[in-house]
Amino acid sequence: MHRRRFFHVAGLGAATLLVACGEENKGQGPIAGEKAQESAPEPAESDVADVNVLNSALDLEHQAVAAYTAAMKVLRGENLRAARTLRDQERAHVQALSRAIQRLGGRPNQAQRDYRFPRLRTEDEVLRFAIRLENTAISAYIDALPQLNSADLRAEGAAIVANEAQHLAVLNGALRERAAPTAFVTGEAAR
Amino acid sequence: MSPDRLLIRDGEADTAVIAEYERSRRELVRRGMVAAGAVLAASTVPLLVRVRNAFAQADDDAAILRAAIEIEQAAVEAYQRSQAQLGGVARLFRNQERQHLELLTASLRQMGGTPPSPDVASQLKGLAGAGGRRDRALFAVELENAAVRAYEDAHRSLRDARLMQVATSILGNEAQHLVVLRQIAGREPVPSAFERGRG
Repeated sequence: MHRRRFFHVAGLGAATLLVACGEENKGQGPIAGEKAQESAPEPAESDVADVNVLNSALDLEHQAVAAYTAAMKVLRGENLRAARTLRDQERAHVQALSRAIQRLGGRPNQAQRDYRFPRLRTEDEVLRFAIRLENTAISAYIDALPQLNSADLRAEGAAIVANEAQHLAVLNGALRERAAPTAFVTGEAAR
Repeated sequence: MSPDRLLIRDGEADTAVIAEYERSRRELVRRGMVAAGAVLAASTVPLLVRVRNAFAQADDDAAILRAAIEIEQAAVEAYQRSQAQLGGVARLFRNQERQHLELLTASLRQMGGTPPSPDVASQLKGLAGAGGRRDRALFAVELENAAVRAYEDAHRSLRDARLMQVATSILGNEAQHLVVLRQIAGREPVPSAFERGRG
């Protein structure tokens, strides 16, 4: 179901994946003294699921690092400084997600050798493309966070998506548009 | 309202709450809030501690929603009373906080819950002491920081996936508010790759 439509219908947020997930295990293991239900995922299985979710996010972070690096060839002055900061913060996300995946026993996805970005000639075009990428990342995180079994990982992911929303504010400001244009940051513009 | 009165009135004057108040106060002092204005720090701390405690004590989704509603009520009132200092920013943010409030309230009612009706105005009495644009922005930064921390904490415990997505989308907006307010206050707008509501 389309998230925006669900907002209107139910007054709540939702996404296709989550309708299927429902009340899934969120890292709340069996109560002490109780026998675990057979349907409950083994820790290793939930870790594998978390690794998959984190690797999907990691792919987007790699792409963002590459995009900001490319953007820095076009941007100048204050916009160039902002792009460098945002690129460095995306790198920090890459490192954090990679460490989290390794802690779970997984293998972090590596960056692609090269990324195909559209040819962008003006600063406005670059900034608007960056906004699209940030919206895509936000949308993906909103879908992904409820799927994570680990409460700590959900909180960490929330801190990252909050930062991505701030990147949007910076990019909007660079375009002399409203930094925080909507009350709900959904990445909706990316869809 | 003094912090002591707030704590006693709420019937939560146990050692943990007092320790949390002290910890929060020390944190604000460390960050120079008192240097920016003693009235400002004194007026924000009780509310922030109250919000923190409300989230810490929430043991189900409805309790988390009620705590979130309290934050949004305080934010709406704070921005409503900051229009002279923050102008259009205050009006925009007030309207956005109202939208959060409406959605959270509708969600709580859908679960059969009743929204809280705290005495928000009295909690924000000290706001008048933050008379200038920068001080008012700093006050709002502390409120937004508290909201960011609360919504991030909520991601640990919310059981309903749809509510978690609502929390994420509101968190994103509060984080964007921080960018604007920090700029007004002369602070680094995006100081960290992980926005944890501490800057």
